[in-house]
Amino acid sequence: MGITERIRVFKPRIGRRELFTLFLLALEVVVFSLVADHFLSYRNVLNILRNSVDLAVVAIGMTIIMIICGIDLSVGSALGVVAILVGWMLNAGVNPFFIAGVAVAAGCAIGLVNGFLICFLRIPDIVATIGTQSILRAMVFFMLGGQWLTGLPPVYGFLTRGRVWGVPVSLLVIAVFYAAFWYFLTRRPAGRRIYAVGNGLETAKLVGISARRVRTLSYVLCGGLVGFAALLYVGRLGSVEITVGNDLALSAIAATVIGGTAVTGGRGSVVGTLAGVFFMSVMKNGIVLFGIPSLWERAAVGLMIVVSIKVDLMLEKRTLRRQQQQLSKQRESAWAARRGEGAAS
Amino acid sequence: MNLLRKLAGNRIVFLAILIATMTAVMSGLSPYFLTVDNLLGMTRFGATMALLAMGQALIVLAGGAGIDISMGSILSLSGVLFGLLVWKCGLDVWTASACGVVIGGLLGSVNGLTVAVWDFPPMIGTFATMWAYAALALIITGGVPVSGFPESFAFLGQRTVAGIPAQIALAVMPVYIILQFVMSKTAFGRSVYLIGINQEAARFAGLSVTRIRFFLYCLSGLLAGMGGVIMASWLMAARPDIGVGLEMQALTVTVLGGIDIFGGSGSLAGVMLAVLVVIMMQSGMQLANINTVWQLAVLGVILLGAVALNQALSRKTSN
Repeated sequence: MGITERIRVFKPRIGRRELFTLFLLALEVVVFSLVADHFLSYRNVLNILRNSVDLAVVAIGMTIIMIICGIDLSVGSALGVVAILVGWMLNAGVNPFFIAGVAVAAGCAIGLVNGFLICFLRIPDIVATIGTQSILRAMVFFMLGGQWLTGLPPVYGFLTRGRVWGVPVSLLVIAVFYAAFWYFLTRRPAGRRIYAVGNGLETAKLVGISARRVRTLSYVLCGGLVGFAALLYVGRLGSVEITVGNDLALSAIAATVIGGTAVTGGRGSVVGTLAGVFFMSVMKNGIVLFGIPSLWERAAVGLMIVVSIKVDLMLEKRTLRRQQQQLSKQRESAWAARRGEGAAS
Repeated sequence: MNLLRKLAGNRIVFLAILIATMTAVMSGLSPYFLTVDNLLGMTRFGATMALLAMGQALIVLAGGAGIDISMGSILSLSGVLFGLLVWKCGLDVWTASACGVVIGGLLGSVNGLTVAVWDFPPMIGTFATMWAYAALALIITGGVPVSGFPESFAFLGQRTVAGIPAQIALAVMPVYIILQFVMSKTAFGRSVYLIGINQEAARFAGLSVTRIRFFLYCLSGLLAGMGGVIMASWLMAARPDIGVGLEMQALTVTVLGGIDIFGGSGSLAGVMLAVLVVIMMQSGMQLANINTVWQLAVLGVILLGAVALNQALSRKTSN
């Protein structure tokens, strides 16, 4: 069986780690619905869905980036720049489909710049994206010029508020994106290559994968998703504020990490990330419902990132130790058997 | 071309020439640039940056993808806590200052715990604390600056000692001299470099990589705490959002100063010169009346350019 075939045959299932995140989410929902009666009301659930749709799309990109052992801090400012472009074009009355194309293309271009800096100029992911983040943030300030972009035509409102056959479009958007990327990451060779690079850069190179191309492509994908998320953002709020996307990177990284993507790369799935996204938006919603100052959310999210990475690393170490114990046991028994043979003859 | 490469390779000479050129150009453009007021203002502004950059430089030097992006938030939070100690608890301002520095060290030790002891990737471990600390600073104060320091406290941030701004003479210079000595003359300093070059080799040589990295994150927190107190004295108020973006400045200065982003090479002297370059640039842009939002973008460009330059040079020397 050739290497590429084997990559294609390999089928990761929904692991225990994803189930754990789903369990956390369920626990959170149960606790919140016990404490606040109207938490599980249809309207509130719809509200949670609507508010999580752009984060959900960005989190897919962040998951891909973290599978290849990278990080992208520039997503928030990138979303801001694209959202402003979208707002300008909306005001100018450009065709909405054309705007959508431009938004995704602009996002991809930003991702390509990140990829170029990281893979070709060999700047570490974190440093490169801190750099682009500050450049993009300056562009946001400059493009807005101290004024908010408000009262935009509600062209994309449909994407977050609309309904098709009684199903909220926000749910459809999330379902389509997650299904598509689940298929891409688990069933397509290109997706499997992303995991291969994340699991071991050198090994991936040895089997003939161009790690550089895969990593650059991952950043481009992430950028494109951010570009699309900008449309959702504009559709959801109908305005672009100066603080646009300020804590988007934090939320996306938290959703990804809580969803079980390994910080050491190579492991993770969009299913877990989706659970992480809902965990985050349910928490945000709960914080508003309970009237807790929203700043606590950031502190809590920071703590949750730390706890969830710690738990993951501990589990990883335990499985590693078990594997080693098993291996040494096998080896011992093999030696014992051989010694027995020697004695017999 | 060869001469250019040699110049860029010797970072200290390169930065010195850069500083000389910038001085010449800017004093030509604005007669105000070389006045005592402007120079004093610039160095005061650079004091915090220098402290943070030294902490960042040591962490990056020790390798293992080390980076501390929580310094700005540590600075805010320890500054605010220091302010509350004076304002709410009525502590003597100098005792409180010492407490503020120690608090910074404690906040940094959380990074040390996650990154050095628990083996988190530094970028994510410090990213989490960055947000958590920034939020805590805002929560504690409710977003309002803490003020009400006694008049005598202005000494640290606004007066001079023998013609030198007090924060430079009493904080930056002593810290720099001590760290420079430790890094170049003591076993500890050499072990930081060794860890940055090859941490496996350092382990086999019997060094506790964990302990040294843990200590460095604490040190970086201490320096950030010191920065917080100095900032409070300079503004006579502890603002909860004062540290926003400072980690990025510190990182920029660090790599511009010639510290290899993958650790193991670079010197603190280069970092100090880089601080000068960046504050001169910022001051020049202010004098030239360039919109302040572009300062952020220019810093970003310098950050990316400096790392790319370092990488290109290291490839040439290694091949």
